[in-house]
Amino acid sequence: MSKRVLVAMSGGVDSSVAAARLVEQGYDVVGATMKLFCYGDDVPDRPCCSLDSINDARDVAHTIGIPHYVLNLEDRFDLHVIQNFVSEYSRGRTPIPCVRCNSFTKFRDLLAHADALDCDYIATGHYAIARNGELYRGSDPTKDQSYFLWGIDQQVVARMLTPVGELSKSETRAYAHRLGLTTADKEESVEICFVPNDDYASVLERHLPADAPALSPGPLVTTTGEVIGKHRGYARYTIGQRKGLPGGFPSARFVVAIRPERREVVIGSVEELAGHSIRLEELNWLAPALEAGDTCLVQIRYRARAVPATVLQIQEEFLTLALTTPVRAITPGQSGVLYRPQGQVLGGGVIG
Amino acid sequence: MRPPVYLDYAATTPVRPEVLEAMLPYLTANSFGNPSSAHRFGRAARAGIEMARRQVAEAVGAEPNQVVFTSGGTEADNLGIVGAALAARDRGATMCAVVSAVEHKAVLAAAHAVCHLGGREVLLPVDAGGQIDFTALEAALADRPAVVSVMWVNNETGVIQPIGEIAARCRDAGVIFHTDAVQALGKVPLTANGLSCTLLTISGHKIGAPKGIGALIVRDRKAVEAIIHGGGQQFGIRPGTENVAGAVALGRAAQLAGAEQASLAERLCLLRDEMAARLRRAVPDLVVIAEESPRAPHLLSIAVPGADSEALLMHLDLAGIAASSGSACSTGAVEPSHVLLAMGVPYDLALGAIRFSFGRESTDDDVDRAVEVVPPVVDKVRRLAGVLGRAEGRTRGQADHGQGGTAEAAGIGR
Repeated sequence: MSKRVLVAMSGGVDSSVAAARLVEQGYDVVGATMKLFCYGDDVPDRPCCSLDSINDARDVAHTIGIPHYVLNLEDRFDLHVIQNFVSEYSRGRTPIPCVRCNSFTKFRDLLAHADALDCDYIATGHYAIARNGELYRGSDPTKDQSYFLWGIDQQVVARMLTPVGELSKSETRAYAHRLGLTTADKEESVEICFVPNDDYASVLERHLPADAPALSPGPLVTTTGEVIGKHRGYARYTIGQRKGLPGGFPSARFVVAIRPERREVVIGSVEELAGHSIRLEELNWLAPALEAGDTCLVQIRYRARAVPATVLQIQEEFLTLALTTPVRAITPGQSGVLYRPQGQVLGGGVIG
Repeated sequence: MRPPVYLDYAATTPVRPEVLEAMLPYLTANSFGNPSSAHRFGRAARAGIEMARRQVAEAVGAEPNQVVFTSGGTEADNLGIVGAALAARDRGATMCAVVSAVEHKAVLAAAHAVCHLGGREVLLPVDAGGQIDFTALEAALADRPAVVSVMWVNNETGVIQPIGEIAARCRDAGVIFHTDAVQALGKVPLTANGLSCTLLTISGHKIGAPKGIGALIVRDRKAVEAIIHGGGQQFGIRPGTENVAGAVALGRAAQLAGAEQASLAERLCLLRDEMAARLRRAVPDLVVIAEESPRAPHLLSIAVPGADSEALLMHLDLAGIAASSGSACSTGAVEPSHVLLAMGVPYDLALGAIRFSFGRESTDDDVDRAVEVVPPVVDKVRRLAGVLGRAEGRTRGQADHGQGGTAEAAGIGR
């Protein structure tokens, strides 16, 4: 009896190829597409039945000869991801819902389905490598998605299969072409799945009352406390942002801080944007926990380079890191992911 | 691996060999012609259409010139309801469609379309047994609506409506009556009561004809106006070159369905009742929906407390049993069935409802396999629901459906 694996199929090329490779490797593969949200329910003639991504995944599953199901995790996704997304912005932070989705929805709720289906493994199309219970960066440095995976339960890593983790994106596409998968040339999705047109403020507007502080005008202040204008609601700003700020300064201005308790958006120079230390909360470890004095690399946003850091202080709830060289725009709500130099993910936390 | 067991005949059926044989000459050979053509090829095709009309008419107790072929049940329902509303508008009457709350989506959506055209829709409630409330019907009839539509046999529960009585009330009130008889044809006797319905929908693929063919029986041509427009075929009610082979298939399938109805009903009734009894022995808290109501013999709707229908169906499929959640949306809508909610089935229970349906190919072995597979699947799915904290989700679901309960996190309202 071959080992059974539940593969999460989004309808994109990566998870399509992940599923196909598992079939080739002789696993008993079951495909599942998670339905995570629905904004189409007030359009009676266009229910979510016609979602293209679901159809794509189903089509691929048929091509490679595996069963495919749609699993509705809307309630769970709303609870753990969307509500968190809204409350983080309300706190003046810039969340990464994909991290929450991996931690709570994909590798916990979907795993419960996998368990019920007697699956030995769970697989995704992530560019990351799970090996011997440890997690590593994907081989393609331009595609590596390990940054989004620091929050999953450590024991899950041993049950994860990452069939495209050692491929480059072009290898993935070539593989999809070879199998004649309809998703081979599908465009990359770079948006947050539940945020249409990259307009996250519209999602906040949908979920928050009209007079919510996060969306209401407040003072735009300098780092010395001088009020220089009004902003349109602090949730519409993010640390490091340059666009949409008033001009007339000798040098470029950036958002350097958001103070939700006073509704303030603080602007400053590029020097004032740099940080030398990082506090991480909601810690999770995928390797033995670090101790004070240990060194590692820390990556503070998806596309940033990981930089050397030393653990200053570590508690149950948080840790602080000193950076060897200052980094730009340390943004509360983003993830700080800890790596070994050779690419192993040690763990991570939410920047506080 | 043993061959899978198909228990979803209410969704669709395989094409019967007799039907395939009857339709093939109309795709190739000498009878492929356009039935509107004046030459011999056209005449051969026309003859096929007319033969099919006679066969359908006989099966439903109508006249051949009352049979209007459509692309299927959905189109026939739309033609019946939207077409009747348009006809009402033409004669200056109220553009109002009265439909039962347990109708198929085709009827509900068509009634909704009447609203978009500037008319109104009225939903008739049903009782706990799934039958319509006659007081509500009387009240609706008092407003002289354009059309009343009540399905003959419910596609999820199998509940049979008192069609003769409903049709009589409508006739007395001078209101056009439409019935969706898609699940009734071949399963319950149609001809006697069929005479009293002005408009009646049937579908081919539920009775062994291919998908893409159905018919609306139109006993009064003034009752409906065309909803698509073209070359005047089919009395101008449904223009477009006829699907000749499909019509021939429907004719033959309807003929067979009519002839075999009594014996098939008797056999399927035994299968259904045996399956219900054995499932209940294995899963004692299982609920058979509308058990006390008059039901068509081929449908068995059950609800499993504490289980999700989507998970049940997935696990059943992996174990080789093809069933359905009734509402036929396989892409993850976890809305519980509107039919069950309309009957007052509790929201939680409705989420765990699945439908088994039988057809002429069903056997005792199918029931044996299902009875073997269902109980362990129920156990697994109930455990899963426990892990995923389904109760929490349900409260939210109810809030979304406007049925009370507001479990939104503080500061987050939508």
